[in-house]
Amino acid sequence: MPYDIKKRKWKKYRKGILAALPFITPGLVLVCIFVLYPMLFTFRIAFSDYQIVKREITWIGFENFISVLTAKNSSFWYAIRNNFLYAFVTTPCIIFLGMFFAYLINNLSKGKTIFKVGFYLPVITSWVIVGLVFQYLFNSSNRGLINYVIVDVLHLTKNYIPWLLREWTGNTAIWIMGIWKNTGWAMLIYTAALQGISKDLYEAASLDGASSWQRFKRIVIPMVKPTTYFVLVNMVIGSFNVFIQVMLLTSGKPNGTTSVLQYLLYDKAFNQFKFGEASAIGLMTAITIIILTVILNRGLKLDTVDKEETV
Amino acid sequence: MRKFKGKKATERVGQGILWIFLLFALAIFSVPYLFMISNSFEKFSFSLPFPPRIFPKQIIFDAYRYILGLDIFTVAFRNSVINTVLTVAIELLVATLSAYGFARIKFPGREVLFKIYLLTLMVPGFLNIIPQFITLGAIKLPFPGLKEGLVGTRPGLILIYVATGICGHTFFLRNFFRGLPDALSESVIMDGGTHMTIFTRIMLPLSKPAIGTMTIFALQGIWEEYFTAKILLGANEAMITLPMLLQRLNGEHATRWEWVFAASILIQIPVIILFILFQRKTVIGGLSEGSVKQ
Repeated sequence: MPYDIKKRKWKKYRKGILAALPFITPGLVLVCIFVLYPMLFTFRIAFSDYQIVKREITWIGFENFISVLTAKNSSFWYAIRNNFLYAFVTTPCIIFLGMFFAYLINNLSKGKTIFKVGFYLPVITSWVIVGLVFQYLFNSSNRGLINYVIVDVLHLTKNYIPWLLREWTGNTAIWIMGIWKNTGWAMLIYTAALQGISKDLYEAASLDGASSWQRFKRIVIPMVKPTTYFVLVNMVIGSFNVFIQVMLLTSGKPNGTTSVLQYLLYDKAFNQFKFGEASAIGLMTAITIIILTVILNRGLKLDTVDKEETV
Repeated sequence: MRKFKGKKATERVGQGILWIFLLFALAIFSVPYLFMISNSFEKFSFSLPFPPRIFPKQIIFDAYRYILGLDIFTVAFRNSVINTVLTVAIELLVATLSAYGFARIKFPGREVLFKIYLLTLMVPGFLNIIPQFITLGAIKLPFPGLKEGLVGTRPGLILIYVATGICGHTFFLRNFFRGLPDALSESVIMDGGTHMTIFTRIMLPLSKPAIGTMTIFALQGIWEEYFTAKILLGANEAMITLPMLLQRLNGEHATRWEWVFAASILIQIPVIILFILFQRKTVIGGLSEGSVKQ
């Protein structure tokens, strides 16, 4: 009898595997060769002294991690601080602007498409191109549009600001670029969510004399909560993948104070050829992202349970 | 009746204010674009114009003519089109199949495997380029041009593009497949159909919006990809792509920003056209249709 059950179970197993094979295999083979294997390899490099030219790998334990974390001129702590700051600054702006524009666009009776496409344009614009344009916008001289507006039009200060050469102005430029590039994405996700809210709700609220602002606050914000979580998680995790902005705008100047983890990693690997340290940074970034994802999911799941109970 | 009319009038005013406000917001949002466009019409003068221009002073296409006349632009354009189309076609096939497998077939180890796929999404991908480079170099195929390994070749680049996209796309589509009703597939199984029948007859047609959305994002992502192409293709001049060309223009002729901007716009145009054409057929289009019916 137990043998029979075992046999039946095995049969079920086999049936499942055979059914899944034609679907899973092509993807799995590619992922194993070009994603998982390289990842394990990177993992190994993080604990080794890797010389790419000699193809030599010597195990050195945690040395790479120690030198990244404790080296005197290491910009690791600046980088991780900037990643968190980027998340704290850009995520609320993107969520608010995205939701706000989506709400306004959703209330239009004509011309929705024009605005949707218009606000979405930055999202589909190549990072390389956006980086080039922002380099010129934040130019240190009077030729930069931002400086021109601040100094020559608004007369806020007398001196042109060397935006991309200072710690906080450089970071600000990086944040502005991130907000500009991602707001359209949030807007689009929110317009999708707003379509899901029944018109009856709005009408009932209007009949009760609720103003647009009240409707926005009392109906829209609570109803799109799941979407907000989705955008939030995506943006926070995305904040740890910031790279091109920094490479094109500041290259971490001055002294790595505008650097981020991914840029630091790139710099270590492809400018200094310290693959061990680069891999160590990659691993630490991954761990940070995984911890954040777990924390965010825990927090948000709890909330959805609460919501279901109250509804 | 009068009350109704009054309501309509206030509504119209409201719509007008909304329009003006949104136009204003959009104008601010468009500044980088306007800056790029107007400066691509500038004449060469070693430095950016002062005061900085948002609106062009004159419309001259010299910069565009120069870029379009470059032989290497034609080569790069051709390469970018081929790489993008092939990658996305293969990607779609592989990712939809995987997503169906994970969403609808119970097999041992499914959850673990899926978690591994998810995990790969959290690890910064571009360090993988070194082992990927080495692996590609080791794959030697008995075809002309591929005997020395796949580094610097189109198939090599496309393989890496496809492989690195699988986990994310599988994740996205699996969630969509899971959300589709079970009843239809059950009826197919009752009629003696296989998973392949369900996949091709039910899942694919029902997921057109999701697949369409994924396609656009994938097309755009590959079209603008710079880093992987730069490292894998590097020295192979015949394989140059548009983003590589743009970076080169910027590096070599930093003062000829009108060329750089003209090239940027030329590279961006196909993506914008694609997005406008597709936007009605994807998730976005489906949504605006719904609102029209109401």
